[in-house]
Amino acid sequence: MIKTHNLTKIFPRSTVPALKEINLEIQDGEFVSLVGRSGSGKSTLLYLLSTLDTPSEGDVFYDDINVKMIPQEEIFKLRNKKIGFVFQFHYLLQELTAIENVLLPARKAKELSQRRELSLRLLDEVGLKGFENRYPSELSGGEQQRVAIARALIMEPTYLFADEPTGNLDSQNGQMIIDLFDKINREKGTTIIYVTHDKEFAARARRQISLADGALL
Amino acid sequence: MMFLSLRHLLARKKQSFLILLGITIGTAAYVSISGMMLGFQNFILEQLVNNEAHIRVSAREELLTKDSLKAFPGVMHVFWSLPPSGRKDSSKIEYPMGWFAMLDQDQEVAAYSPQVVSQVIFTQSKVTRTGRIIGSQFERQMKVTNIENYMKIGSFRDLGNSGNRLIIGSKLMEQLGTRLSETLLISTGNTAPQPFKIVGVFETGIKGIDETTAFSSLVDAQKLRGRPSEITDIAIKLFNPNEAQIKAEAWKLSSTDKILPWQESSASILSVFKTQDIVRNSMTIAIIIVAGFGIYNILSILVNQKKRDIAILRSMGFSPSDIIKLFFNQGILLGILGGIVGLFIGNIICHIMGQIEVVPGRMSGPGNKMIISFDYIIYIKAFSIAVLSAIFSSIIPARQAGKLEPMEIIRSGGQ
Repeated sequence: MIKTHNLTKIFPRSTVPALKEINLEIQDGEFVSLVGRSGSGKSTLLYLLSTLDTPSEGDVFYDDINVKMIPQEEIFKLRNKKIGFVFQFHYLLQELTAIENVLLPARKAKELSQRRELSLRLLDEVGLKGFENRYPSELSGGEQQRVAIARALIMEPTYLFADEPTGNLDSQNGQMIIDLFDKINREKGTTIIYVTHDKEFAARARRQISLADGALL
Repeated sequence: MMFLSLRHLLARKKQSFLILLGITIGTAAYVSISGMMLGFQNFILEQLVNNEAHIRVSAREELLTKDSLKAFPGVMHVFWSLPPSGRKDSSKIEYPMGWFAMLDQDQEVAAYSPQVVSQVIFTQSKVTRTGRIIGSQFERQMKVTNIENYMKIGSFRDLGNSGNRLIIGSKLMEQLGTRLSETLLISTGNTAPQPFKIVGVFETGIKGIDETTAFSSLVDAQKLRGRPSEITDIAIKLFNPNEAQIKAEAWKLSSTDKILPWQESSASILSVFKTQDIVRNSMTIAIIIVAGFGIYNILSILVNQKKRDIAILRSMGFSPSDIIKLFFNQGILLGILGGIVGLFIGNIICHIMGQIEVVPGRMSGPGNKMIISFDYIIYIKAFSIAVLSAIFSSIIPARQAGKLEPMEIIRSGGQ
């Protein structure tokens, strides 16, 4: 469960807060979309929820533990084991093959051999069976994004955060990604929180959180 | 992170190769230049150390000073029947028995040889040459120096203990127009000339010695000088030549005789070596600095290019120190690999240089080949320089990469 208390973010050199006193609760297993116009603070909220960013004021709680109280090394472990990320730009490491990219988090967790089988299964699930040894430059944008999703799932995280995962894709590929999220959420029970400005994609989530000018609507 | 570091390096083979080349050339240059220069230096040093005594004790040389008059306490005016020259040198070692007793006891002294060294005039029919004659006991002299190695004709043993036999420098013999078994006259100026028979010829390759020096037995030299039982020099060989200076300083405390370690008598050559070392080291440092800047540049560019990767790695739970390792490893790998390859290439160059024939003479080793040092210290130094420069040049970009915050990278669009 993720909970926020008066979450506020003011960027340096800015007087207007990007987020104002957000109070929010997301239960485990939810399928949530964050929507709003650009500048509404939806991405900012996503990164604050995901521990990558730190709030100016207020707190984020993971299972009632304040993130501020968690030591650095534990935060790194939390990101590694409990959290998966998908970004708008697919952010694969160009020097590594698809399967090596998928296994990167397992490498950090020193669970490389245990996770190898899972990595093959995940690539199969995202429809990339047989693409394991291709380099990112040999994959299309949609395929790269699906590799990134497989990578986000390799540690079987509790939470999956996605920042405009369809933003850089055509509608067909975008549709495929959202379908995949839906399936993962249903089958694995992973909490999925994604940011999108596409109304149609946002509607696919079982809960929509709308933001405007840094506040919940 | 070693896995990813390697993949980064392999993904940019050409770039990595060029950097590697820089380090390799630097290391190889250090190994070969040092091999050549140190080979030469060691050879010369060996000659200096073994041709001459490690420490030479000779008769006192002392200038007359105000303090010298303190020998007459309570006296205001000193009148001389014969005015002194301003020096009060001695022409002999004052108490040789004391020296012998001490040297016999000393554990660090390998051998010593009492000598009589006098300036003489060599005469062969109408030709005269000035030079010096060194009288010594041949067994002792052979233990102190390696004169036997330089014997061109005969053996140093042929001097015997008396009988006016002479071993002469090759150039001196040539100038006198004489040859083996001929007799020539030697005079010190103060005494009547005495005949000496040439029983051997030596050649050290050092002109200054070969043109002026002859050896005789101790007794004959003493007779020639007209002062039997006096000696003018003691040549001393130590077990460890590097101790000579310390030993000499210690002896100076208890003796008025002149005591000269080889380091002082060959100070000019040693200072040439120092200059050589400075040239050698600064050249290598220059090469290594260039290679180091290469690593620094490449890594800085790489860190900039890989900001997105850094963000994604951090989002996966990799820590700042993992990121530092990612880039630092690359620099170190290049340093180690370049260093090892450089050592091999340097070693090969040294072997090739060792085959080059040079003009026969003092600088050439056995077979007139160039002398190359293969001292392992050179290789350790070369390798350390390569690795250290890699460490220094990769630590800055690596730490910069470690400081990058993932959010800043994502917010700025990853570029």
